[in-house]
Amino acid sequence: MSDGDPASPGVSGEPRERPPDSPVVTTTVRLLVPFVVTFGLYTMFHGTSSVGGGFQGGVVVAAGVIAIAFAFGLDRTGGWLRPGALVVLPAAGVLGFAFVAGGPLVLGAAFLDLSAYPVAKAVVFGVEAVELCIGATVATTVVLLFRSLGGG
Amino acid sequence: MTSPLVAALLVLLLVAAGTVVWLRDPLSTVVAFGVYSLGMAMLWAVFRAPDVGMTEAAVGAGVTTALFLVAVVRTGAADPGDTQSRSRAVWRSRAVWRSRPDWRSIAVVGGLVAALLWTVPALPAVGTSAVPPSQQVGPAYVERASALGVDNVVTAVLVAFRGFDTFGEVVVVYAAGVAVLLVFDGEVVG
Repeated sequence: MSDGDPASPGVSGEPRERPPDSPVVTTTVRLLVPFVVTFGLYTMFHGTSSVGGGFQGGVVVAAGVIAIAFAFGLDRTGGWLRPGALVVLPAAGVLGFAFVAGGPLVLGAAFLDLSAYPVAKAVVFGVEAVELCIGATVATTVVLLFRSLGGG
Repeated sequence: MTSPLVAALLVLLLVAAGTVVWLRDPLSTVVAFGVYSLGMAMLWAVFRAPDVGMTEAAVGAGVTTALFLVAVVRTGAADPGDTQSRSRAVWRSRAVWRSRPDWRSIAVVGGLVAALLWTVPALPAVGTSAVPPSQQVGPAYVERASALGVDNVVTAVLVAFRGFDTFGEVVVVYAAGVAVLLVFDGEVVG
């Protein structure tokens, strides 16, 4: 959606050209981002046993994408992002949360009563699933904010 | 009473906050604001609130700074080639120093600060167990969370005990995304 046309004028009236990327910055980002995203996913998956959860993990993952945008340019990064995924994933997170929370209703328990699921450690797994849904919504929404604000 | 680490962090926060106010160049202000957030994040970690600290570091120091930077650049408020000289010019002109103090503003701000400081001695000590939340709900949450097998009590409260609130928060985040798409992009799905 961001057209990626380098000659399109910015708001300030001058062409939005970028100075050549410093290899220090791009190499650092290339090396760091996999670890940042892994850490974000770790935070989401381990919300029940260690610090953080879906919100924090989601923002960390989004920060990885933003770091890429800072190193390689907003327009190029915007071109790498799939617009469909950016629209679908936030909704999928909300719906997934609703699905996990509404499941107990089908099983005859109250909304969000995760212990109603007939599996071992139902609450732990239920909370983890919810954390992943939160992470999906938060991460993609933050990326969306950044891309919309920067790529307009 | 106050550990040297906390004192150093508080000084860092004060300096960073003052710098945010004093700097005239938007880009420098954003960076100083990021430093302030990072100081806050470290302070939360020292106060044993790592969940809040992580959020502050990721959202306050990271994403907010990035959003502000993009906003500054996109609105043309930043002039990358001339940032330093412009900052210096502002300092040299000493417009800040020459401007007359507005006594009414000073009275209002001073009064507010005094009123807030007046309430500080009434606050309980950091981490004390002599406050109602630490005697009633707190222990109950800790007990029930470990019974559920969720070791991080913050997560247990967020998702297991107060899940309905959290569901609302996620919907709020989603709504923010939808609003941004509508405002900035117009056509949503290409």
